[in-house]
Amino acid sequence: MSVLWENIVITMISFAILYWLLSKFAFGKLFAIMEQRRQLVLSQLEEAKQTREQAGVYVEEQKEALKQARQEAFEIIEQSRQSSSKQAKELLEQAKQDASRVKNEAVRDIESERMKAVEALRGEIGAFSVNIASKLIKREVESNPAEQEELVGQYLKEVGSKS
Amino acid sequence: MHEAPIINLGGFNLDLSAVLMLFVSCLIVFVLCRLAVANLSVENPGKLQNFMEWVVEFVQGVVGSAMDLKKGKPYISLGLTLILFIFVSNLLGLPMGIITEAHKPESIFGFVIEATRNLSGGEHAEILWWKSPTADISVTAGLAIIVFFLMNYLGLKHNRKHYLKHYIEPFPVFLPLNIIENLAKPIALAIRLFANIFAGEVLITVILKMGFLGIPFMGIWQGFSIFVGALQAYIFTILTMVYIAQTTIHEEDH
Repeated sequence: MSVLWENIVITMISFAILYWLLSKFAFGKLFAIMEQRRQLVLSQLEEAKQTREQAGVYVEEQKEALKQARQEAFEIIEQSRQSSSKQAKELLEQAKQDASRVKNEAVRDIESERMKAVEALRGEIGAFSVNIASKLIKREVESNPAEQEELVGQYLKEVGSKS
Repeated sequence: MHEAPIINLGGFNLDLSAVLMLFVSCLIVFVLCRLAVANLSVENPGKLQNFMEWVVEFVQGVVGSAMDLKKGKPYISLGLTLILFIFVSNLLGLPMGIITEAHKPESIFGFVIEATRNLSGGEHAEILWWKSPTADISVTAGLAIIVFFLMNYLGLKHNRKHYLKHYIEPFPVFLPLNIIENLAKPIALAIRLFANIFAGEVLITVILKMGFLGIPFMGIWQGFSIFVGALQAYIFTILTMVYIAQTTIHEEDH
């Protein structure tokens, strides 16, 4: 095996040509694309990070909103419960008042009716009594009927108040 | 011993085998790279693009291990070309060798092949056409000389003062030693690569002589040769980068 200087020269030339061709036609593009890809990956990582942070903030907000909504719902329920019990109380009160008023009225009506009845009865009984008495004591009363009737009415009144 | 098909072009000995194999190697590397960059895509890289990007990142790692990657950026193309070219060259001789046997003076393109010029009678010459180009010491020497020129040129250009000063360090007496060291680098590069690949091819020839018995050994050796080819390409590239780093990078603490 001998060293041929011609081969050395050929090798050097061919390697130089290969280097030149590759640099010109292949590596430049490849390096540019690799740089772009690196940038892409970096930007995507950055984006993913941002999205994650945003999602975290959003979740936090949602939690807060949920908590607030729950609080509000509780308050509303509480309020409605209070108002309903108050209303019920009022209704009951009203009903009680109404009932007592109705009762009172009824009692008064009864009283007045009774008085009327008593009055009427008293009148009738008076008249009857006068009739009876006039029949019984025709003579005495014939002379002065009005005086007699008043007298009888007075007695009957006493009778009525005792009954 | 296999002879090289050398023709004499007016005093210039042209080794047709070396020319052919160098051409094939360069063609394969160039076509591979062109295919890899044919459909470049940022969003959806193809398999070949991924492979090439892996190679680029590997070379970036190699350069980065020898020097600062910022300063080493211009050498990535060089490292890529070196590693791809040497790796492809190392593998070319593995699948086959083409050898012709000549019993009388043969000529090609009208020129006599030198090895067959004085053949007569029962003599014959085996001419090796297809082999790894790196199994020829002239080719590896060519690569090593490129590296040698490059490292000294870059040293002189970027780091002249310290580059020249390192020849007389630690004492001026060391000048011849430093020169020898500098010269030994390309020689070691060339011989290491040549010897590994040439030995691989010689052993393949030997195993072929075993006939069918050699098939398992051949399988093992072919696999190992692929490994050796990749390893030698890697070693050549990283040593190139280390040498360039040694001459061009001036360390502050020196």
